[in-house]
Amino acid sequence: MSLVTALGRLAHVRLRGYSRRTAAASWGAFLTARRSLTAGTQPLRSDNKVTVHFINRDGEKITVKGAPGESLLDIVISEDLDFDGFGACEGTLACSTCHLIFDEEVYKKLGPVTDEEMDMLDLAYGLTDTSRLGCQICLTKSLEGMVARVPESVADIRQSKDGSS
Amino acid sequence: MAILNHLTTTCWKSFQSDRLNKQLLYALRALHKSAASEALGISTTGEEPIPDRLIAPADVGEKTRVKNLKDMPGPSTLSNLVEFFWRDGFSRIHEIQMEHRKKYGKIFKSRFGPQLVVSVADRELVAQVLRAEGVAPQRANMESWKEYRDLRGRSTGLISAEGEDWLKMRSVLRQLIMRPRDVAFFSDDVNKVVDDLIRRVSCLRTEQSDGATVLNVNDLFFKYAMEAVAAILYERRLGCLENDIPQETQDYITALNLMFSSFKTTMYAGAIPKWLRPILPKPWEEFCHSWDGLFKFSLIHVDKRFAEIKGQLQRGEEVKAGLLTHMLITKEMNLEEIYANLTEMLLAGVDTTSFTLSWASYLLARHPHVQQQIYTEVTRTLGPGTVATADDVPRLPLIRGLVKETLRLFPVLPGNGRITQDDLVVGEYFIPKGTQLALCHYSTSLDEENFADSLDFRPSRWIRKDTTDRVDNFGSIPFGYGVRSCIGRRIAELELHLALTRLIQKFHISMSPLTADVKAKTHGLLCPAAPIHLQFTDREN
Repeated sequence: MSLVTALGRLAHVRLRGYSRRTAAASWGAFLTARRSLTAGTQPLRSDNKVTVHFINRDGEKITVKGAPGESLLDIVISEDLDFDGFGACEGTLACSTCHLIFDEEVYKKLGPVTDEEMDMLDLAYGLTDTSRLGCQICLTKSLEGMVARVPESVADIRQSKDGSS
Repeated sequence: MAILNHLTTTCWKSFQSDRLNKQLLYALRALHKSAASEALGISTTGEEPIPDRLIAPADVGEKTRVKNLKDMPGPSTLSNLVEFFWRDGFSRIHEIQMEHRKKYGKIFKSRFGPQLVVSVADRELVAQVLRAEGVAPQRANMESWKEYRDLRGRSTGLISAEGEDWLKMRSVLRQLIMRPRDVAFFSDDVNKVVDDLIRRVSCLRTEQSDGATVLNVNDLFFKYAMEAVAAILYERRLGCLENDIPQETQDYITALNLMFSSFKTTMYAGAIPKWLRPILPKPWEEFCHSWDGLFKFSLIHVDKRFAEIKGQLQRGEEVKAGLLTHMLITKEMNLEEIYANLTEMLLAGVDTTSFTLSWASYLLARHPHVQQQIYTEVTRTLGPGTVATADDVPRLPLIRGLVKETLRLFPVLPGNGRITQDDLVVGEYFIPKGTQLALCHYSTSLDEENFADSLDFRPSRWIRKDTTDRVDNFGSIPFGYGVRSCIGRRIAELELHLALTRLIQKFHISMSPLTADVKAKTHGLLCPAAPIHLQFTDREN
């Protein structure tokens, strides 16, 4: 909620500048402020980072670290994790490809789920009671060591190019 | 409209290219299916006569037998032609969708001249198709739109662009207007337009002898939608809801009306082969003329804002940060791309929202007990007279349900298109790359299997018991799904939620004796077939 209020305040920030150049720079600063707010405002000291274990579609465990405030989708992108088709709409709540499954205890700690996220989860493949969208989960210290499982891939109706389908 | 338009375009174009295709076919049939489809990909969108088009999918049928398009049921070419061109099936396209679903099943093929369309009328199959999408899905052939833009040296926008051009612009715009919490910023701007809407209702009803009736509510909601979307896109009030509408706004409305009223003519505009244009110039001329009007409007307002920003900066004044200002200053898109996208977004954001508001108020008037239920929720949650903002909407589940239920019964886009970008197997049928699919949203959202008592208006069916309660899965996706879904979805939802909440708070909406049963017709979009007249009586607060 505080994030929303903060963003709301920022939206009404008025920019002051004396040339287009400075305006662009201020606007850039404005956007950076917005982005870093989305991505968390804590300093990126490594001792502050949160460990996340992803389990990919082959059942392999991939351990990475992310800063508090970063979303799980941010981490998948920044760590260049290769989950096919993951996060197609770039975290804008237009798809459900960043669907992740959690253990019950972790799920309870993930924070509230918005109506828009629930609507998108309705359209997720292989949905479970402990499913969430990775783009909506922001890391906190209390999630240290969390496990996030990438659900099985959609039965692909595409016919592969070599015809082996 | 776009989809239909371009289906027809392809019809005509392919008519010409048929001969060429036939020459290619012998060679193609001998080829491996993927290679063949690849080769066909350049001539795109199923432009070949069906039987010839089929390439035996021998190597994909190991698990379950995969059938050919040839085996797919569907109306005969002749009956389809009669239905659409003779019996004006285009206005009943949503009903025909239902009839064909009953008759031919979940997936069927239709021919519009040489254009083959595979209709997918089952929520599971729709889900499969949309989940298999790549990074830049294609909806339909947009050549005539592109041709106009090339002719005038304009850029394409999100509706008309394809491939990398599309992806580049979509990536910029989705970061600006797709996240619900970003769109919530516009809550106050939209609420100011809602203030004017309410005033306008009060003013219009005094013109009628009963002091309650507003004639043709869609006219009112059209102006609301245009005013609201422009307030966000252009950071400017247009004055649509004033007594005297400014001339340039009136000009735009005229251009927009021309676009829609001449829908049938313009539908053929891009479709008529170029060599026929000297003989039949009118459709193409009208098509260009209405686009000129729409573009002109964007140019005026974008340039105006641009000049304002420059002036403010030169004088050292504050520049208020809005959407257009952001686009102009960050230059993530060039000026032409900004013109084109604002033009296309305004075009897409007016009728869609106004029809939905018209249907929603019509349904509320037809179902007073449902209206009362929602009124009770709104007053109980907000208290009397409180103006709702975006932050309040999560506490008004019936308002959200009202919008979802309205769009389920009257999906603005009764069907959407996709051109397959891979060879697919859908519902046991092999569908080659480049086939035009029609996703039948109207039929899936009225399917009894997906929604019990599907013809009933029941906003409460969308209420969740808790956060793990699942309500629906692909049966009703009025804004589409995925990377090519409606870019204006969250803006539209905000406009709908805030307007409906306030209307319900302020007025008791009831049927006017002038309006009986209003059916839907397809005119590009699904719209009321007759004017809706409603009575707005003040609630006692």
